Amino acid sequence: MRDGIGDETRLRTLLAAGDRAAFERLYRQHNGAMIRVCTAIVGNRAAAEEVVQDGWIAILQNIGGFEGRASLAGWMFAIVLNKAKSRARRDGRSVSFDAGGEENSLAAAFDGRGRWKDMPELWDEVTPERILAGRRVLDHVTAAIEALPPAQRAVIVLRGQQGLDAAEVCAALGISEGNMRVLLHRARLAVRAALDDLL
Amino acid sequence: MLNCKDVAARASALIDGELSGWQAMQMRLHLAMCRGCSAFVGQIRQTRDLTEAALREGTAHAGDDARLAAILARLPDQRRGG
Repeated sequence: MRDGIGDETRLRTLLAAGDRAAFERLYRQHNGAMIRVCTAIVGNRAAAEEVVQDGWIAILQNIGGFEGRASLAGWMFAIVLNKAKSRARRDGRSVSFDAGGEENSLAAAFDGRGRWKDMPELWDEVTPERILAGRRVLDHVTAAIEALPPAQRAVIVLRGQQGLDAAEVCAALGISEGNMRVLLHRARLAVRAALDDLL
Repeated sequence: MLNCKDVAARASALIDGELSGWQAMQMRLHLAMCRGCSAFVGQIRQTRDLTEAALREGTAHAGDDARLAAILARLPDQRRGG
């Protein structure tokens, strides 16, 4: 759930005053997601870590200018993603967020009348800690997320991040809400297919 | 009437509450009659929940103390000293 405006104003004041505990809390909450998304955009983790570190410094330097028009998380991710996009441009790399084409893991799942060829079945007992093929379900999910194409990976990570709403995710990535939904659904289909293969 | 392929394409929108009342009702009508689609939507819901859990767990382990210290070291001192 999104923090109340009062909480965010208070947090901004604490950060502007250099409050170390407030910053650490924010850092631990968002740093992992920032690195994952930036890795998708810049193409490797080492560059992503540099970009995110620069982003945090920019966040601290500019916190006084945060006006609460977006949530604090939305504002921070926009700063970090701008840096990632600049870095990708400089490195001659581009990630397409175009959602054209219909290819997904269900491409061959239906007959000519749009009915399932093989009916999906309920997943029983698929809990985070269950072991499948020697690994916890959550570890399989993490691996499946990491194997996604960059645009899908960026969207699924941001949509799973607390404090960011759909409009802020679209604004930070510079994509339409329609595109975002298509990419999110495709990402979930791929993760679902990876799990279904194990069951 | 929606077919199974239509329902599968709208499964994320349904569980994220992004369909209009009419669209959601068409989905529910199909789901009430189709065991396969009902199972599929359940799988997508589980996938969403597991994805969020995996990302939260990754974040909990992402505390990179050396980098955190490097950022804090660049905080202007006057802010801390007042």
